[in-house]
Amino acid sequence: MEPSKNEEPRVPPVETGGVDPGVAAPEPDSLGPTRVPWFRSLTIERRILFGFSLVFIGILFICVISYGNTRLLLDNSGRDTRSYELIQTLRDVDVATDEAEKHLRRYLVTGEPIYLGNYREVVKQKTTLVTYVKDLVRGSVDQEERAERLSQVMDRQFTAQAAAIAKLTEGGIRAVKKTALDGPAKREIAEIHRIVAAMDQHERETMHMRVMQSAAETEKTIALLAAGALLQLVLLTSVYYLIRHDITERRRVAAELKRHGALLEAANKELESFSYSVSHDLRAPLRHIDGYAALLRKAMADAMNEKAARYLDTISASAKQMGQLIDDLLVFSRMGRQEMFRTTVDLAQLVSAVRDDLRLDLHGRTISWTIGALPSVPGDPAMLRQVFMNLIANAVKFTSTRPAAEIAIGVDRRTPTEVVIFVRDNGVGFDMRYASKLFGVFQRLHRADQFEGTGIGLANVRRIVHRHGGRAWAEGAPDQGATFYVALPVEEKTR
Amino acid sequence: MSPAKPILLAEDNPRDAELALAAMEEHHISDKVVVCHDGAEALDYLYCRGVFASRQRGNPAVVFLDLKMPKVDGLEVLRAMKSDASLRSIPVVILTSSREERDLRESYALGANAYVVKPVEFCRFVSAVKELSMFWGIINEPPPDPLPPKT
Repeated sequence: MEPSKNEEPRVPPVETGGVDPGVAAPEPDSLGPTRVPWFRSLTIERRILFGFSLVFIGILFICVISYGNTRLLLDNSGRDTRSYELIQTLRDVDVATDEAEKHLRRYLVTGEPIYLGNYREVVKQKTTLVTYVKDLVRGSVDQEERAERLSQVMDRQFTAQAAAIAKLTEGGIRAVKKTALDGPAKREIAEIHRIVAAMDQHERETMHMRVMQSAAETEKTIALLAAGALLQLVLLTSVYYLIRHDITERRRVAAELKRHGALLEAANKELESFSYSVSHDLRAPLRHIDGYAALLRKAMADAMNEKAARYLDTISASAKQMGQLIDDLLVFSRMGRQEMFRTTVDLAQLVSAVRDDLRLDLHGRTISWTIGALPSVPGDPAMLRQVFMNLIANAVKFTSTRPAAEIAIGVDRRTPTEVVIFVRDNGVGFDMRYASKLFGVFQRLHRADQFEGTGIGLANVRRIVHRHGGRAWAEGAPDQGATFYVALPVEEKTR
Repeated sequence: MSPAKPILLAEDNPRDAELALAAMEEHHISDKVVVCHDGAEALDYLYCRGVFASRQRGNPAVVFLDLKMPKVDGLEVLRAMKSDASLRSIPVVILTSSREERDLRESYALGANAYVVKPVEFCRFVSAVKELSMFWGIINEPPPDPLPPKT
């Protein structure tokens, strides 16, 4: 049952093949930004998408670099603030150390408790300052070490100073005179000054390095950003040219289509006026031939011999036949130009109506019909009616020599896109070698005296089915019947 | 059995005209047929002008009109008739070779009373013309002539 051998091509060779503007691919020599083969194989949409993806990635890259740099600058500026704070605090420590020593020495010399009070005040302040220093240097190992040493030396300073105060309480001013003159914690204070100076130095150096780093980093970032921007510019330009090229191409195709459409329309118009004049002018002489033959027959009624009568009959019959051919050809031509009426056609109803129309031909015939369930399809009711009228009339005609004719109509198979209807008979059939001729205009596989007909029916069938976006083919064997298949799209797909 | 009013046959092809007349011969209808060979002549007859200036006044019983004619074609004659109050009521039968949908549509749109395609087979042509002339020329009662304008 599979129509494998005789399946005709889906695209009819002669009918107006529409060019789909959506798939008009750019020419291979398009001025794309690259000559890489895989890039060329991409559709224009994918190329543009690819270009924009690169641009997007570039923007992302620029964002990341900018963020990193800003982050660094912000961090460095935070560290700078801490460094300035540290330098200030170190100066305070320096001053406070000297201040404490000064107050203590005054106390030691005068014994005035007011100086002791001042001293203790400064000492208290110093502790806070050192804690703050430790806090500020956190993170830098060198500085932390120095801060620790500073703290220890200060402790030693306090111990030495406390010892001097104790000495004063015990032995009076005289006992501490020398200490007061030299300074109770002279060594420690010198050490503190050294440490503070070292810390100050270190911090300034760090700051300086940081400034350098920031500047270098910023420079690098600016360079990267400039490169990125340039790259974006190049990419965007490429994408622009791609799109522009595509638009130009599309415009060209559209213009071409328009031109073709105009040509087609002109050709159609010409064809229409041609069939119009055929319709008007070609029939008249035939009518005259038949008419005058009849008049001649009448005028010669008595003198006519058998031979002459037969000649006249042949003249009339030929004229009639040519008239029929012209009519068929006009119908066929009209079938290709006629506007299609699109609706849903119930094939079951249509087939039963066709059988009803054929009942005169069925008179005196014994035909066993097998009609399967038939679907509804989108299409032009009058045109599809003609398809089934032709197929069924053919089946009836070519089974006329059979004592028990059998005609079956039904669905052969159904796919998501199309439904294949068959019309099968047990008539005289045909040789598959001539299957390709079946659907040609005025092609006949039987002699005129065997079966009547002009040979346009199946040409009409194929043309109508093509216009519906479907296919028509046939299978058969001499004396073993024929099966005609019509594949019709289930969804609207007309041309 | 001859009709009281004439039948106007507008037919450019003399053979077609002869065949039509031959078809009408049987009932002596052909005596009353006036043949015009193009649209202009048909209009001349209808308006009693040109070569028909001296003809007996009165509208024909029916006009058999071919579509494709030189000078003025059938559709133009039809249009002229239907837009003239004194000619509008004359029955018009289009008698043509063409079965083109365009012709059918336009003829009826302009007000044709019937549209007959001339069959190729002579016997069918004869019976068609005979029946047409019988019906429109004899059986059908034509509209009375318009009243002369009051002075």
